[in-house]
Amino acid sequence: MEFAKKIVETTEEIFSTMVFMDVSAGTPLSEGKQAIGCHISAMIGLTGGFSAMLSIHCPEAVGLSIAGAMLGMELKEVDADVKDALGEIANMVAGGLKERFATEDINLELAIPTTISGKSYTIASPTKSNRVIIPFNVESGQFFTEVKYNLG
Amino acid sequence: MKYAQDICDSTQEIFSSMIMLDVSPGEPFKRDTSKLEHSVSGIIGLAGTVKGMLAIHLPNEAALAVTTAFLGMDVEEIDEDVCDAIGELANMLGGSIKSIIDPTGSDVQLSIPSAIHGEEYAVDCLADSESVTVPFTFNGQTFMVELQINQS
Repeated sequence: MEFAKKIVETTEEIFSTMVFMDVSAGTPLSEGKQAIGCHISAMIGLTGGFSAMLSIHCPEAVGLSIAGAMLGMELKEVDADVKDALGEIANMVAGGLKERFATEDINLELAIPTTISGKSYTIASPTKSNRVIIPFNVESGQFFTEVKYNLG
Repeated sequence: MKYAQDICDSTQEIFSSMIMLDVSPGEPFKRDTSKLEHSVSGIIGLAGTVKGMLAIHLPNEAALAVTTAFLGMDVEEIDEDVCDAIGELANMLGGSIKSIIDPTGSDVQLSIPSAIHGEEYAVDCLADSESVTVPFTFNGQTFMVELQINQS
Protein backbone atom coordinates (compact mmCIF):
# COMPACT_ATOMS: atom_id res chain seq x y z
CA MET A 1 0.00 0.00 0.00
CA GLU A 2 3.13 2.14 0.07
CA PHE A 3 2.09 4.31 2.99
CA ALA A 4 5.55 5.81 3.48
CA LYS A 5 5.80 6.94 -0.13
CA LYS A 6 2.34 8.48 -0.11
CA ILE A 7 2.96 10.23 3.21
CA VAL A 8 6.23 11.72 1.98
CA GLU A 9 4.76 12.88 -1.34
CA THR A 10 1.65 14.40 0.20
CA THR A 11 3.46 16.15 3.03
CA GLU A 12 6.03 17.62 0.65
CA GLU A 13 3.30 18.75 -1.72
CA ILE A 14 1.11 20.40 0.91
CA PHE A 15 4.02 22.10 2.64
CA SER A 16 5.38 23.47 -0.59
CA THR A 17 2.07 24.68 -2.07
CA MET A 18 0.08 25.75 1.00
CA VAL A 19 2.60 26.42 3.77
CA PHE A 20 5.45 27.66 1.57
CA MET A 21 7.97 25.73 3.60
CA ASP A 22 10.75 23.44 2.47
CA VAL A 23 10.61 20.05 4.13
CA SER A 24 12.88 17.06 3.73
CA ALA A 25 11.78 13.59 4.75
CA GLY A 26 13.95 11.47 7.02
CA THR A 27 13.93 7.68 7.45
CA PRO A 28 10.66 6.23 8.78
CA LEU A 29 10.85 5.62 12.54
CA SER A 30 11.10 2.00 13.55
CA GLU A 31 8.01 0.05 14.57
CA GLY A 32 6.66 0.97 17.96
CA LYS A 33 8.77 4.06 18.37
CA GLN A 34 6.69 7.10 19.19
CA ALA A 35 7.29 10.68 18.24
CA ILE A 36 8.60 12.19 21.45
CA GLY A 37 9.04 15.72 22.67
CA CYS A 38 5.96 17.00 20.85
CA HIS A 39 3.64 19.61 22.26
CA ILE A 40 1.01 19.84 19.56
CA SER A 41 -0.53 17.07 17.47
CA ALA A 42 -3.15 17.60 14.79
CA MET A 43 -5.14 14.43 14.09
CA ILE A 44 -7.84 13.42 11.63
CA GLY A 45 -9.62 10.11 11.12
CA LEU A 46 -9.96 8.39 7.75
CA THR A 47 -12.29 5.56 6.87
CA GLY A 48 -13.80 3.65 3.96
CA GLY A 49 -11.49 1.22 2.20
CA PHE A 50 -9.63 0.90 5.50
CA SER A 51 -9.78 2.73 8.83
CA ALA A 52 -6.96 5.01 9.85
CA MET A 53 -5.88 8.15 11.65
CA LEU A 54 -3.34 10.66 10.39
CA SER A 55 -1.43 12.81 12.86
CA ILE A 56 1.08 15.60 12.51
CA HIS A 57 3.17 15.91 15.67
CA CYS A 58 5.26 19.04 16.36
CA PRO A 59 7.37 20.37 19.19
CA GLU A 60 6.10 23.82 20.17
CA ALA A 61 8.71 25.84 18.26
CA VAL A 62 8.15 23.90 15.04
CA GLY A 63 4.36 24.11 15.38
CA LEU A 64 4.58 27.88 15.83
CA SER A 65 6.85 28.29 12.80
CA ILE A 66 4.67 26.10 10.57
CA ALA A 67 1.45 27.91 11.56
CA GLY A 68 3.27 31.22 11.23
CA ALA A 69 4.45 30.38 7.70
CA MET A 70 0.95 29.39 6.65
CA LEU A 71 -0.78 32.42 8.18
CA GLY A 72 1.97 34.88 7.27
CA MET A 73 2.45 36.10 10.84
CA GLU A 74 4.79 35.55 13.74
CA LEU A 75 3.20 33.48 16.48
CA LYS A 76 4.39 33.41 20.06
CA GLU A 77 2.24 30.75 21.72
CA VAL A 78 0.03 27.81 20.85
CA ASP A 79 -3.34 29.55 20.60
CA ALA A 80 -6.54 29.01 18.59
CA ASP A 81 -4.89 30.30 15.38
CA VAL A 82 -2.04 27.79 15.66
CA LYS A 83 -4.42 24.92 16.40
CA ASP A 84 -6.66 25.87 13.49
CA ALA A 85 -3.70 26.16 11.10
CA LEU A 86 -2.20 22.80 12.07
CA GLY A 87 -5.64 21.17 12.01
CA GLU A 88 -6.13 22.52 8.50
CA ILE A 89 -2.73 21.16 7.43
CA ALA A 90 -3.66 17.73 8.76
CA ASN A 91 -6.92 18.01 6.84
CA MET A 92 -5.05 18.82 3.60
CA VAL A 93 -2.43 16.08 4.04
CA ALA A 94 -5.23 13.57 4.71
CA GLY A 95 -6.97 14.88 1.59
CA GLY A 96 -3.80 14.23 -0.39
CA LEU A 97 -3.65 10.66 0.91
CA LYS A 98 -7.28 10.20 -0.03
CA GLU A 99 -6.50 11.31 -3.62
CA ARG A 100 -3.53 8.99 -3.92
CA PHE A 101 -5.42 5.97 -2.61
CA ALA A 102 -8.34 6.77 -4.93
CA THR A 103 -6.05 6.16 -7.92
CA GLU A 104 -5.71 2.59 -6.57
CA ASP A 105 -9.50 2.24 -6.26
CA ILE A 106 -9.36 2.54 -2.48
CA ASN A 107 -11.93 5.14 -1.42
CA LEU A 108 -11.56 7.03 1.81
CA GLU A 109 -13.58 9.66 3.64
CA LEU A 110 -12.17 12.20 6.08
CA ALA A 111 -13.55 12.97 9.56
CA ILE A 112 -12.80 16.34 11.21
CA PRO A 113 -9.43 17.52 12.56
CA THR A 114 -8.71 17.57 16.28
CA THR A 115 -5.66 19.06 17.95
CA ILE A 116 -4.06 17.75 21.10
CA SER A 117 -1.76 20.25 22.80
CA GLY A 118 0.03 20.40 26.10
CA LYS A 119 3.29 20.10 27.97
CA SER A 120 3.07 16.37 28.48
CA TYR A 121 0.92 13.85 26.67
CA THR A 122 1.28 10.48 24.97
CA ILE A 123 -0.86 9.27 22.10
CA ALA A 124 -1.40 5.53 21.79
CA SER A 125 -2.90 3.55 18.96
CA PRO A 126 -4.53 0.12 19.31
CA THR A 127 -1.75 -2.42 19.88
CA LYS A 128 -3.03 -4.57 17.03
CA SER A 129 -2.82 -1.74 14.47
CA ASN A 130 -0.07 -0.79 12.04
CA ARG A 131 1.73 2.53 12.09
CA VAL A 132 4.11 4.46 9.88
CA ILE A 133 5.91 7.56 11.23
CA ILE A 134 8.01 9.77 9.00
CA PRO A 135 10.14 12.59 10.42
CA PHE A 136 10.46 15.77 8.35
CA ASN A 137 13.20 18.32 8.75
CA VAL A 138 12.44 22.02 8.56
CA GLU A 139 14.46 25.07 9.49
CA SER A 140 13.06 25.25 13.02
CA GLY A 141 13.51 21.55 13.78
CA GLN A 142 11.63 18.37 13.06
CA PHE A 143 7.98 17.34 12.87
CA PHE A 144 6.43 13.90 12.30
CA THR A 145 3.63 12.71 10.01
CA GLU A 146 2.14 9.48 11.28
CA VAL A 147 -0.53 7.17 9.89
CA LYS A 148 -2.03 4.42 12.04
CA TYR A 149 -4.22 1.98 10.19
CA ASN A 150 -6.15 -1.26 10.26
CA LEU A 151 -6.78 -3.15 7.04
CA GLY A 152 -10.01 -5.16 6.75
CA MET B 1 -29.21 19.98 22.85
CA LYS B 2 -29.04 17.96 19.68
CA TYR B 3 -27.48 14.49 20.12
CA ALA B 4 -27.39 14.79 23.92
CA GLN B 5 -30.06 12.13 24.35
CA ASP B 6 -28.30 9.87 21.82
CA ILE B 7 -25.06 10.20 23.80
CA CYS B 8 -26.89 9.33 27.04
CA ASP B 9 -28.58 6.30 25.47
CA SER B 10 -25.45 4.98 23.75
CA THR B 11 -23.18 5.48 26.76
CA GLN B 12 -25.54 3.88 29.24
CA GLU B 13 -26.15 0.97 26.89
CA ILE B 14 -22.48 0.28 26.15
CA PHE B 15 -21.45 0.62 29.78
CA SER B 16 -24.17 -1.64 31.08
CA SER B 17 -23.87 -4.34 28.41
CA MET B 18 -20.08 -4.39 27.81
CA ILE B 19 -18.57 -3.13 31.05
CA MET B 20 -21.30 -4.07 33.54
CA LEU B 21 -21.29 -0.57 34.99
CA ASP B 22 -24.38 1.56 35.57
CA VAL B 23 -23.60 5.16 34.70
CA SER B 24 -25.82 8.17 35.32
CA PRO B 25 -25.89 11.14 32.95
CA GLY B 26 -25.67 14.73 34.13
CA GLU B 27 -26.62 17.98 32.44
CA PRO B 28 -25.33 18.29 28.82
CA PHE B 29 -23.07 21.28 28.14
CA LYS B 30 -20.67 22.75 25.60
CA ARG B 31 -17.14 21.91 26.68
CA ASP B 32 -14.69 24.78 26.40
CA THR B 33 -11.00 24.49 25.59
CA SER B 34 -9.84 24.08 29.16
CA LYS B 35 -7.08 21.58 29.80
CA LEU B 36 -7.61 18.03 30.95
CA GLU B 37 -5.29 16.99 33.77
CA HIS B 38 -4.11 13.51 34.75
CA SER B 39 -6.60 12.11 32.30
CA VAL B 40 -7.09 9.67 29.45
CA SER B 41 -9.10 10.50 26.33
CA GLY B 42 -10.30 8.03 23.69
CA ILE B 43 -11.12 9.64 20.34
CA ILE B 44 -12.54 8.28 17.10
CA GLY B 45 -13.56 9.96 13.84
CA LEU B 46 -16.83 9.60 11.97
CA ALA B 47 -16.85 10.18 8.22
CA GLY B 48 -19.21 9.95 5.27
CA THR B 49 -22.46 11.86 4.91
CA VAL B 50 -21.84 13.09 8.47
CA LYS B 51 -18.34 14.09 9.62
CA GLY B 52 -17.42 14.32 13.24
CA MET B 53 -15.52 13.09 16.23
CA LEU B 54 -16.50 11.30 19.40
CA ALA B 55 -14.36 11.53 22.51
CA ILE B 56 -14.52 10.06 25.98
CA HIS B 57 -12.49 11.90 28.62
CA LEU B 58 -11.76 10.21 31.96
CA PRO B 59 -9.61 11.30 34.90
CA ASN B 60 -6.93 8.63 35.54
CA GLU B 61 -8.79 7.14 38.48
CA ALA B 62 -11.95 6.65 36.43
CA ALA B 63 -9.95 5.25 33.50
CA LEU B 64 -8.39 2.64 35.80
CA ALA B 65 -11.78 1.72 37.29
CA VAL B 66 -13.40 1.37 33.85
CA THR B 67 -10.49 -0.70 32.48
CA THR B 68 -10.55 -2.95 35.55
CA ALA B 69 -14.28 -3.57 35.05
CA PHE B 70 -13.89 -4.01 31.27
CA LEU B 71 -10.96 -6.44 31.35
CA GLY B 72 -11.93 -8.21 34.55
CA MET B 73 -8.45 -7.68 35.99
CA ASP B 74 -6.88 -5.10 38.28
CA VAL B 75 -4.99 -2.31 36.59
CA GLU B 76 -2.92 0.01 38.73
CA GLU B 77 -1.39 2.45 36.27
CA ILE B 78 -2.12 4.03 32.90
CA ASP B 79 -0.46 1.49 30.61
CA GLU B 80 -1.00 -0.13 27.22
CA ASP B 81 -3.99 -2.14 28.52
CA VAL B 82 -5.73 1.02 29.68
CA CYS B 83 -5.05 2.82 26.41
CA ASP B 84 -6.34 -0.15 24.42
CA ALA B 85 -9.44 -0.40 26.61
CA ILE B 86 -10.28 3.30 26.36
CA GLY B 87 -9.66 3.26 22.60
CA GLU B 88 -11.96 0.25 22.30
CA LEU B 89 -14.55 2.05 24.42
CA ALA B 90 -14.43 5.04 22.04
CA ASN B 91 -14.86 2.56 19.18
CA MET B 92 -17.93 0.97 20.78
CA LEU B 93 -19.50 4.33 21.64
CA GLY B 94 -18.75 5.52 18.12
CA GLY B 95 -20.44 2.43 16.71
CA SER B 96 -23.50 2.98 18.86
CA ILE B 97 -23.84 6.68 18.01
CA LYS B 98 -23.24 5.91 14.34
CA SER B 99 -26.13 3.45 14.27
CA ILE B 100 -28.42 6.17 15.59
CA ILE B 101 -27.18 8.87 13.19
CA ASP B 102 -27.08 6.46 10.24
CA PRO B 103 -29.54 3.57 10.71
CA THR B 104 -28.86 2.26 7.16
CA GLY B 105 -25.30 1.51 8.25
CA SER B 106 -23.81 2.47 4.93
CA ASP B 107 -23.41 6.23 4.96
CA VAL B 108 -21.19 6.89 8.00
CA GLN B 109 -18.07 4.94 8.96
CA LEU B 110 -15.62 5.02 11.87
CA SER B 111 -11.89 5.73 11.74
CA ILE B 112 -9.39 3.89 13.92
CA PRO B 113 -9.46 5.13 17.56
CA SER B 114 -6.60 6.79 19.44
CA ALA B 115 -6.04 7.16 23.17
CA ILE B 116 -4.33 10.23 24.59
CA HIS B 117 -3.09 10.44 28.16
CA GLY B 118 -0.98 12.84 30.13
CA GLU B 119 -0.55 15.20 33.02
CA GLU B 120 -1.96 18.13 31.14
CA TYR B 121 -3.35 18.39 27.61
CA ALA B 122 -6.10 20.13 25.67
CA VAL B 123 -8.33 18.52 23.03
CA ASP B 124 -9.76 20.97 20.50
CA CYS B 125 -11.91 20.34 17.44
CA LEU B 126 -11.60 22.52 14.39
CA ALA B 127 -14.36 25.11 14.49
CA ASP B 128 -17.69 25.01 12.69
CA SER B 129 -19.03 21.91 14.35
CA GLU B 130 -21.99 21.36 16.58
CA SER B 131 -20.67 20.13 19.90
CA VAL B 132 -22.24 18.63 22.99
CA THR B 133 -20.70 16.99 26.05
CA VAL B 134 -22.50 14.86 28.60
CA PRO B 135 -20.98 14.18 32.03
CA PHE B 136 -21.53 10.78 33.66
CA THR B 137 -21.01 9.41 37.14
CA PHE B 138 -20.53 5.92 38.55
CA ASN B 139 -19.33 4.78 41.99
CA GLY B 140 -18.21 8.28 42.90
CA GLN B 141 -16.22 8.67 39.65
CA THR B 142 -16.93 10.98 36.74
CA PHE B 143 -16.14 11.09 33.03
CA MET B 144 -17.43 12.94 29.95
CA VAL B 145 -18.53 11.90 26.48
CA GLU B 146 -18.21 14.57 23.81
CA LEU B 147 -19.59 14.54 20.27
CA GLN B 148 -18.59 17.03 17.57
CA ILE B 149 -20.64 16.91 14.36
CA ASN B 150 -19.93 18.94 11.26
CA GLN B 151 -22.92 18.74 8.96
CA SER B 152 -21.92 19.84 5.48
